Amino acid sequence: MINWVALAFILLISLWYLSFTATRLDRLHHRVETSWANLDVLLQKRAAVALEIAHSDIADPASSMLLTGAAYQARDADIKSRSQAESGLSGALGLLLEDSQHLATAADNVLLTELSALTDKIRVAIAIHTDAVTRTQMVRGKFVVKVFRLAGTAPLPVTYEFESDVL
Amino acid sequence: MLTRSLKIGIVCPYSWDTPGGVQNHIRDLAEFLIAAGHEVSVLAPAIDESLLPSYVVSAGKPISIPYNGAVARVLFGPVAFARVRQWISQGDFDLLHLHEPAIPSISLLACWAADGPMVGTFHAAAKRQKIIFAIGPILEPAIEKLSARIAVSEAARLTLTDHLDTDAVIIPNGIYASRYAHGTKQSKWQGNTIGFIGRFEEPRKGLSVLVEALPIIARFAPDIKVFVAGPGDSTDVEKSIDPQLRHRFEFLGKISEEDKADFMASVSLYVAPNTGGESFGIILAEALAGGACVVASDIPAFDDLLGHGEFGALFTSEDSTDLAKVIIDLLRDDAKRQKLSEAGKARGQSFDWTAVAEQIYSVYEMSIVGSEKVRLASDTRSWNRFLSKDDK
Repeated sequence: MINWVALAFILLISLWYLSFTATRLDRLHHRVETSWANLDVLLQKRAAVALEIAHSDIADPASSMLLTGAAYQARDADIKSRSQAESGLSGALGLLLEDSQHLATAADNVLLTELSALTDKIRVAIAIHTDAVTRTQMVRGKFVVKVFRLAGTAPLPVTYEFESDVL
Repeated sequence: MLTRSLKIGIVCPYSWDTPGGVQNHIRDLAEFLIAAGHEVSVLAPAIDESLLPSYVVSAGKPISIPYNGAVARVLFGPVAFARVRQWISQGDFDLLHLHEPAIPSISLLACWAADGPMVGTFHAAAKRQKIIFAIGPILEPAIEKLSARIAVSEAARLTLTDHLDTDAVIIPNGIYASRYAHGTKQSKWQGNTIGFIGRFEEPRKGLSVLVEALPIIARFAPDIKVFVAGPGDSTDVEKSIDPQLRHRFEFLGKISEEDKADFMASVSLYVAPNTGGESFGIILAEALAGGACVVASDIPAFDDLLGHGEFGALFTSEDSTDLAKVIIDLLRDDAKRQKLSEAGKARGQSFDWTAVAEQIYSVYEMSIVGSEKVRLASDTRSWNRFLSKDDK
């Protein structure tokens, strides 16, 4: 009799644990999605600002071309080449900002402050997203999760490789 | 900044009636957010509920437990848990901001009970503790629910990554820099003077290091005066001072905020000889904003705050000889002192609430997606969802 009670108890605990882990994983997937959505919006905004900068007087024709190209690439890239394209845009913006700070006029300054505010936010968004992704990968690597397929059909999130020195 | 007005719930782990850095931070943040047009409710333990400001909700009477080298007044247990759950379900919050959610407190309970947009701020900086590794697996699923983590300093961030293997965004503690920026120079505190503010009875505040350094300093600067401000009984400390130098010390007791601004503007040097247990050093930020030339021990939090010596001088922690050397060096060099205090004043501005709150805000913004609200976690669990389907 005692044996049966113990067995039922253990079964109950393990069921609870499985359900608990599944909820936990579900929440993590949700976090990955929302943090990515945030980052995505910010990156799109940055590409738009980059285009505006390219069309303003800040950029000389050559860097304007470079920037326009990079911005379009970043906008149109699919998820796999996105990270590389965004890094390219960061590089183009960095090149431009390095030698344009002293000659910017007041109107262009608005664009530049907007860009720097965006960059700060992007940095935070990257940190939040990266953390969500690594946590999810860690939990998905657990034995129970693999054996009982607790992740279901959700794709394994990939780390977004960002050059750490974004601008 | 966000355009719509938010309903924000902030959880304070420590008793609201006892003075402390975390409580001050939460009070200032809540008042700043309310002034910006948001609705804020703070849940905190309290000893005397009649003294609470209108935006604070009491979670019950705190209990005292030893934590991180001091006594912490916190609250937990089933009754507190019920209160936390009630506060969350009635609050209808857009976002929860939990402070210090990794210690046993109502912050952790709230983190456990809630589901939805949550931000956590980690204040403490502690050395690696084995106990955390033991309870880590229990904490992790809860801490993991936070959509974003904030650490108040590099030291606090390292503590977090060490113990819980998770990263955080660094946003410093805020001060009202303008309150300290316009202190008037008072002649009673000017000259070869050293200032110290803090609960000097606590050994980790390091007043004894300064006391030991004084004989050497007095040899080079015979007219040196040390002003010690802060609450506490000075008789024991005075006994530990060399009788010949005792008149060089003056204990001012607790001073007002206005006096603090004048104090920082007047003294030649502000010294913070803390030996550890400090995670941010709000008083240093205030000293910088007040235009004082700062000398501080090189504990990680201070080293970071002073930009590795760019905004204030550093000395080897707990080494009174080194402290004396740094102080004498600065007292003799007016130009260097001037340069440090000017650089420090600009640095102090970056800790102003306007800048700090904006950063906290953008983290809020990133945690809130769509119009999702904070709910009780138990309402969203699958079997409860399944059961409640029949009611609808």
